[in-house]
Amino acid sequence: MVLAKLAPHLLSWAGIVLAMGRGFSGRRSVVAAGAIVGFPLGVAGACLLSRAYPGDFSFAIIRDIVGGSFLLLWGGAVAAIYSSTVREFPRSWGERLANSPFCAGAVALSSGMIAGAISACRLVGTYNTLPPFLLLALAASILALAALAVERALAASFPVSHSGLMASVVALLLFSASSIIRLDLFSPLTMKLMKFSHDFVHQFFESMLIPDHLFIRTYLWGYIGLLFGNGVGFWGALILWFTPAVLVALAIQWERLPSVAHIRQGAQRRRLLATGIRARRFRLVIPVLAMVVLAAAVYRSRFPSVEYWDPKPLPISASPSGDIFIPKKGDVDLEDGKLHKYLFKQGGREARFFVLMTPAGKLTVDLDACAICKPDGYGQAEGTVICYYCKTLIPLETVGQPGGCNPIPLPFTEKEDGVHIDGLTLLNMWGTNAQSTARVKGGGK
Amino acid sequence: MSTTIIETGGLTRNYGDICALKPLDLKVPEGEWLSVMGHSGSGKSTLLNLLGGLDRPSNGSLRVGGEDMQGLTEDGLARFRREFVGIIFQQHHLIPYLTAVENVMMAQYFHSVPDEAEARLALERVGLGHRLKNRPSELSGGEQQRVCIARAIINSPKLLLGDEPTGNLDHKSTLMVMELLKELRAEERFTIVMVTHNPEVAAWGDRTIYLDDGILVREERTRS
Ligand SMILES: Nc1ncnc2c1ncn2[C@@H]1O[C@H](COP(=O)(O)OP(=O)(O)OP(=O)(O)O)[C@@H](O)[C@H]1O
Ligand SMILES: [Mg+2]
Repeated sequence: MVLAKLAPHLLSWAGIVLAMGRGFSGRRSVVAAGAIVGFPLGVAGACLLSRAYPGDFSFAIIRDIVGGSFLLLWGGAVAAIYSSTVREFPRSWGERLANSPFCAGAVALSSGMIAGAISACRLVGTYNTLPPFLLLALAASILALAALAVERALAASFPVSHSGLMASVVALLLFSASSIIRLDLFSPLTMKLMKFSHDFVHQFFESMLIPDHLFIRTYLWGYIGLLFGNGVGFWGALILWFTPAVLVALAIQWERLPSVAHIRQGAQRRRLLATGIRARRFRLVIPVLAMVVLAAAVYRSRFPSVEYWDPKPLPISASPSGDIFIPKKGDVDLEDGKLHKYLFKQGGREARFFVLMTPAGKLTVDLDACAICKPDGYGQAEGTVICYYCKTLIPLETVGQPGGCNPIPLPFTEKEDGVHIDGLTLLNMWGTNAQSTARVKGGGK
Repeated sequence: MSTTIIETGGLTRNYGDICALKPLDLKVPEGEWLSVMGHSGSGKSTLLNLLGGLDRPSNGSLRVGGEDMQGLTEDGLARFRREFVGIIFQQHHLIPYLTAVENVMMAQYFHSVPDEAEARLALERVGLGHRLKNRPSELSGGEQQRVCIARAIINSPKLLLGDEPTGNLDHKSTLMVMELLKELRAEERFTIVMVTHNPEVAAWGDRTIYLDDGILVREERTRS
C-alpha cells in the first residue's frame, strides 16, 4: 500500500542512481555510499522540517530546493552549450573536478537527500509513525543497489556525459516532485509567468497606451487579451521547462568529432568518424530521455492523480433584509476543514462562494473565484485548494488572504451558531470580479 | 609474405546429404593471388562463401586473418565481412536505381559513413571517372564489373574474393578487369582468391587449385 503510493518516487530514484553510476564511471562505490546515506538523511530532514513547521512552509522549502536544482541545470546547460561551441574552452579544470570522487559523492549525497525529502513528503501528514518512513529508506537503499547492478550490466558503449547526467537527475527529481501537488514546480511556474504577463500588460498597456483613446482601445484589447490567457503561462512555462534539456542535447550534437583529416586510408578514417558519430548518438539518448521524463512531469502536474474534493454548490437564499445565514452545524458541518460551496441567486444575479475552516481553526468565507482567473472555482486536495482554471495550488493556511490566485475573501460575521454574509455585498463583489476577469478572458462562466 | 591469411583444416560443408566440400586442407599466404578451378558443382562457390564469412562450415577448422571463424558470433561475422573482405560476383548485384557513385557509397555506409569524394576517387581509379552518375543499366558489363571492384575495395579489405567475376565478360573486358585487379593488388597488397572456369583468367594468379566433387585434386604454380 505504502509502496504503491511511493512507486513514482522510488522509480525515479532508481533512475537517478543508475544515471549517476553511469555518469561517474569508475566511481560506483562512492555513488552507492552517497546515495545510500543521502536518501535516509533527506527522509529524516523532511520529517524534522514538517514537525518544526507544520503546514505549507516545510513543503515550500523542499520545493525551493528542487527549484534550485532546476536552476543549476539551467546553468549547466548553458555552460555545456558554451563549451561545445567556443573553441579552446578550458575544459580540463572543470572536467577534472567533475571526475573527482568528491564530486561524485557530493552529487550522489545531495540528490539522495532531495529525492528522500520528496518521497517523505508523500507520507508526511498521512502517516505519523516511524515504520513507513523506515520502510521507505530501506526500499530506497535496496533499489539503489539494484540500480547500480543493472548499470553494471548495461553495455559499455552507452556513456552518459556530465551534462546529460545533470539533465537526467534533475528531470527525475522534477518528475518525482510533480506527483506531489504541493511540491510540483510546473504549475507555479505557469502561474508566475501568467502573473508576470498580467502585471506587465496592465502596467504597460493601461498606463502607456490606453489612456483615453477610444478607437484603439476596443480593438487593441482583443489582442492584449491573448497575453492574459492561460496559454501564455502554459506555453511560456513549457519553454522554460524544456530548454535546459534541449540545450544539453544541442551541446552534445554540436560537440566536435575527432579530427580524422590526417588519416590517409579512407576506410580507417571513415571508421573513426563513424565511431565518433555513434558515441555522440548514444550520449544523446540521455538528454532525450530526460525530455521524456520532463514531459511526464508536466503531464502529472496538469493531470494530478489526486482526488479532489469538489463539492456541488448548495443553493442558498437570503432573509428579506438581505442577510445570508449559514449554520455551523446544519446539514453540513462547516468546521470539518472541508470546502463548502454555496450558490446565491437573487433578482437574476448570482454568485458562488465557499466557507472553509483553515488548519489554524479560523473560519473563512471567500468568493469561489480569484482576481485574475476566469471564475472556474476551486477544488480541495492535500492541504490545498486548487484553482480549476490555472491549476494553482493555494495552501489552506493562506486561504482567506487576498492576492494572486487566492480566493477573494468576503466580509462576514461569525456568531456562535453560524456565519452571516451580506447578500448584496456578495453579489456586487462577484459582479465586479466576474466582469473584470470576463473582460480579460472574453467571457466568464 | 610469410604470414598465412587463410588456413583450413578438414574444412567441410554439407547440404543435407550432399557433401559440397569434403575435408579440405588449404593454406594461403598473405598477398597471394589464388585461382580456384573445377567443374560446375565441384564446390568452388561453397569454398568462397566460407572464406568470405557468408556461410559457416559444417566441420573442420577455418582461420581467416588470424580469426577463428567458427568462434565468431553473428555480429562478429558481420564485422568480419564488413572490414576484412571484399567480394565480386559474376552477377554484379549493383542496386539498379542508384548511380555508380551511390552504389559505392552504399558500401561505405554499411561499413561506417559515406564519403562521396572518396567514392568518386575510387571510381576514377578503376577508370570510370566519366560514368559516375550513370545507373548500372546504363553501363556495359565490363564497366559494371569495374564498379563492383571499386565497391569491393572501397573499405580496404585484406582479402578480395571473386566468384567468376569475368564470367559474363568478353575477352577484351576480361583483360581490362584482370589488368585492373593486378594494378590494384600492387598498390593495396590485398590477397585474392578467385573462382573461374577460364584457364586464361586462372593464369593471372600465382597458384591454381582444382576442385572436383568437393575434393582438392590438384594444384599448380603459375610460371611467370
Ligand atoms: N544452398 C544449397 N543447398 C543445397 N545444396 C547446395 C547449396 N549450395 C550448393 N549446393 C550444392 O553443393 C554443390 C557445390 O555447389 P557450388 O555452388 O559450390 O558449385 P560450384 O563449383 O560453384 O559450381 P558452378 O561452377 O556451377 O558455380 C552442388 O552440388 C550444389 O548443388
Ligand atoms: Mg559457383
